[in-house]
Amino acid sequence: MKLLTLLVLASAMNWAATVAECDGHRKHGRKQPAFDCYLALTSSKDMAVVAEGFWGLKQFKAANDAFRKAQDANPKSADVRVRWGMMFLERFQKKDAADLFTEALELKKDDARALLGLAIVASESYEEKAVETAREALKQDPKLVEAQELLARMALEDGNETLAKEEADKAIAMSAEALNALAVRATIEWLNDRPGTEWSDKILKINPVYGQAWALAAHFFVINRRYEEGILLYRKAIAMEPELWDAKAELGVNLMRLGRDKDAREFLEDAYSHEYKSASVVNTLTLMDSYKNFVRYQTPVTDVRLHKKEAELLKPFFETELLRAIATYEKKYKMKLPNAVRLEVYPDHDDFAVRTMGLPGLGALGVTFGTVVAMDSPSGRKPGTFHWASTLWHELNHVFVLTATEHRVPRWFAEGMAMHEETAGNPEWGDRLDPGAIDAIKKKKLLPIATLDRGFVRPSYPNQVTVSFFQAGKICDYIKERWGFEKLLEMMRGFAARKTTVVVVEEALKMKPEDFDKDFMVWLDKQVGKTVAGYDEWRKNLKIIADNFKEKQYDEVIKKSKAIRDLYPDYVEAGNIYEFLADSYTEKGDKAAAAKELLAYAKIGGRNPATLKRLGKLLEEQGNPKEAAAAYERINYVYPVQDEELHTRLGLLWLELKEPSKAVLEFSAAVASKPMDPTVAYFNLAKAFRAAGRKDEARDNLLSALESAPGFKPAQKMLLELTDK
Amino acid sequence: MRALVLLLLAAANSFGAAWFVTISGLGGEAEYDTRFAGWATDLDKAVRGVPDAQVHTYSGKLATRETLRKAFADFATKVKKEDTFTVVLIGHGTFDGVEYKFNIPGPDFTAAELAGWCDKIAADRQLIVNTTSAGGASIAALQKPNRTIISATRSGTEKNATLFARYFVEAFRDPGADTDKNEVLSALEAFRYADLKTVRFFETMKRLATEHAVLEDTGKGEAVRNPAPDNGKGLAAARFPLMSLGNAQKFSPEKQQLVEKKQDIEGQIDKLKYEKAAMDLAEYRRKLGSLLVELAKTQEELDK
Repeated sequence: MKLLTLLVLASAMNWAATVAECDGHRKHGRKQPAFDCYLALTSSKDMAVVAEGFWGLKQFKAANDAFRKAQDANPKSADVRVRWGMMFLERFQKKDAADLFTEALELKKDDARALLGLAIVASESYEEKAVETAREALKQDPKLVEAQELLARMALEDGNETLAKEEADKAIAMSAEALNALAVRATIEWLNDRPGTEWSDKILKINPVYGQAWALAAHFFVINRRYEEGILLYRKAIAMEPELWDAKAELGVNLMRLGRDKDAREFLEDAYSHEYKSASVVNTLTLMDSYKNFVRYQTPVTDVRLHKKEAELLKPFFETELLRAIATYEKKYKMKLPNAVRLEVYPDHDDFAVRTMGLPGLGALGVTFGTVVAMDSPSGRKPGTFHWASTLWHELNHVFVLTATEHRVPRWFAEGMAMHEETAGNPEWGDRLDPGAIDAIKKKKLLPIATLDRGFVRPSYPNQVTVSFFQAGKICDYIKERWGFEKLLEMMRGFAARKTTVVVVEEALKMKPEDFDKDFMVWLDKQVGKTVAGYDEWRKNLKIIADNFKEKQYDEVIKKSKAIRDLYPDYVEAGNIYEFLADSYTEKGDKAAAAKELLAYAKIGGRNPATLKRLGKLLEEQGNPKEAAAAYERINYVYPVQDEELHTRLGLLWLELKEPSKAVLEFSAAVASKPMDPTVAYFNLAKAFRAAGRKDEARDNLLSALESAPGFKPAQKMLLELTDK
Repeated sequence: MRALVLLLLAAANSFGAAWFVTISGLGGEAEYDTRFAGWATDLDKAVRGVPDAQVHTYSGKLATRETLRKAFADFATKVKKEDTFTVVLIGHGTFDGVEYKFNIPGPDFTAAELAGWCDKIAADRQLIVNTTSAGGASIAALQKPNRTIISATRSGTEKNATLFARYFVEAFRDPGADTDKNEVLSALEAFRYADLKTVRFFETMKRLATEHAVLEDTGKGEAVRNPAPDNGKGLAAARFPLMSLGNAQKFSPEKQQLVEKKQDIEGQIDKLKYEKAAMDLAEYRRKLGSLLVELAKTQEELDK
């Protein structure tokens, strides 16, 4: 309805409405009275009331104008700013909202509703301060039921059902019609596979069309990775309230996550066309538009989608690794997946980030939704900063663990298993012990196993998510080492049977979680205690070593580096001891010693392509083609892109080592790298095919070599040899 | 095309000299001065190995407009019709919306002035490689039939210092630049080599590309990023020999028949490649295979 028509209608109404009355109608699902009521508000002389009227009518632009006028008329009003901010929040403009709440607090110190607004803003990013701000709001206004409801919601987001119930009950005690608190109570029941009708009936009695309760429940299912159930709940919410655009948008996003593109687009476009243009809607639609740029490769168990600019190059690496990981996990976890794994690889990190938007504690490199895995391409990251194969194994492990448990698994266990598997197959893979984890161990910031999930969802210090990944992985390493891998499977089955971490630990490990924590810390201390204790000394000496190196005091560098190298052997980032040693040995002409240090770097998990290449060259010079090939091959799992030289060099080594199939893979990669010299690249590939006994493919590639260079004599010679035979 | 190239190469090698005029301009900063002079020196060294090369390199204070004007006037008296004549500009260029200028000590020279100097050169095959910033703005003034223009930038608005020259010079040293393996580096091959390396530099560094090289070799129309039969560009550049990478083979009169046969097969291959788009791929590969085997056998006979 046009604004003018609304105004005419509003002026015709001769009864005086209040905002509270209108909100009451809406809260009880009385749509037409609510509409009439809000319409009446728009004829008020008070612009703040007019703004509320337009907001209630979803006329956001008019409401915004009215709020501005209200503020001009009453520049010292904190209330106007708070309400205006709340509208901004509804229109996904968090920063503007936060600014208004902050301004309100400057005008009226400790304004409870302004504090509530800031708490909501923080809660949307799962920030720790959201809880304390909500508590502060309640302190200022103990009757502020929305703040109490927010606390209930955040407790449930943290996975603390007991606290969530307590907080929700407090809200219900404050107001029997605290719909969102009732929704939290209902959600707890649903999450535990109970009907929850005692709560849903109450909700429906208050408001028979309160779809938001089901949308709220859907949110919890999604953040617990129970996407299918989340989708069903969103559908129910929309069926009750067809104009619940945020639920439609979320439904679209989650359908996209599960690869149901057609349905996803329908809901997203519907939301978009009704002016619900949140960042997630816009970005998801943009991402889906980019799908046309992806090439799809399918096998019975895989569905790999790669960007066309790098598809040919990456396909053999990703498909091979995915198939290998599936076969390994099928054997280890004694199960088959219900359908093919869809793997999407994004060269643009922003595209990948769209997939994880709004979800707390997910990996920054890869993400899993059911049997859909999305991850960064190595080309989207700085060389050496991303081990794509490790990430692939990590994410694929989620597919197995989530499938095995029907998504009923705490975050710590899912991430712990995935971290454990990264290094189980190859100790060089996976994350190294980083300074953040060392600091957390030193300051005793690791969480008890029973509450470890909180470290993923609502971190209380900046790198707590990363530390929690590390801790969860080490816990699984520890369980495997002490009780064997079967125990991890038993725990997984416990989670599948809907048991909590406490119960699973007690039943499977036969000990209290608190005792487990103690034993684990003793074990961890044996693993990393030396590093934690020696970290400060190591760091101090590393700086001195760097200075010595700058001053070309290579003997000093070697002496000091050897003394501290084993204090923190996991450190393989820029300025690591291994490279200082290798550089110093090189300067002194001792290439063998340099190679030895770089080999140690590679074996501990060093993955800078330039350093690994240097190692490969040194080993080649020393007449060790096997180790040289192994050094170069490590780069394939880190940065196989934009490096035809790597693939050519490795291909030649494989030929020398009589490994023609591996040579075929490398020379194929060289050809797919759009080489500077395609003739030689095709010729090399032909040589590899010939060595592998695949003469037709050898001939085919010779033709490709000679097509651009008909007079290339080595290729001509081989063509005649193949033709004669 | 290839047979024709060989014939032209043979003609060039037998009868014409290869003129290389490299001009390195002002860097503005010491770093750029060093870089530009270094590339010019490297190019100078690389082309001195070309048979019958006439190499003239102007760097720093030597590269004034008056010196260059006189030099080109002198070249005009010496360069013959059958010679090849290559000019390479290394440095900074500017474009004020009307006129392109190459930055040198003293007054700069314009694209129009350079065109005027080159117009007096008799060589039927000319190549101007403008590796400077804003070089795209020089193309219109420089283009004419029988002259290939390569520019590191596609327009006068690409004003950042360029990298193209570094890779263009590298093409003279990297055997991989000779992609058709005929042991001759053509202007088209050097262009493609430098362009690909430049593109990769920006990709690897994850930086927005600030230069986009183009080529124009027909004397009319726009310069293009990807010279190819479908846009009609690249034929003359492919025929323009920059440097021989091997020794020219001498054949006895009795083998001349084989040489002619070889050239005939190469001609058939070129023709077939032009028909590729309209052919069934399997049929194309079959015919290509037959011709390539025939060519290989002929070459084997020639090499005996």
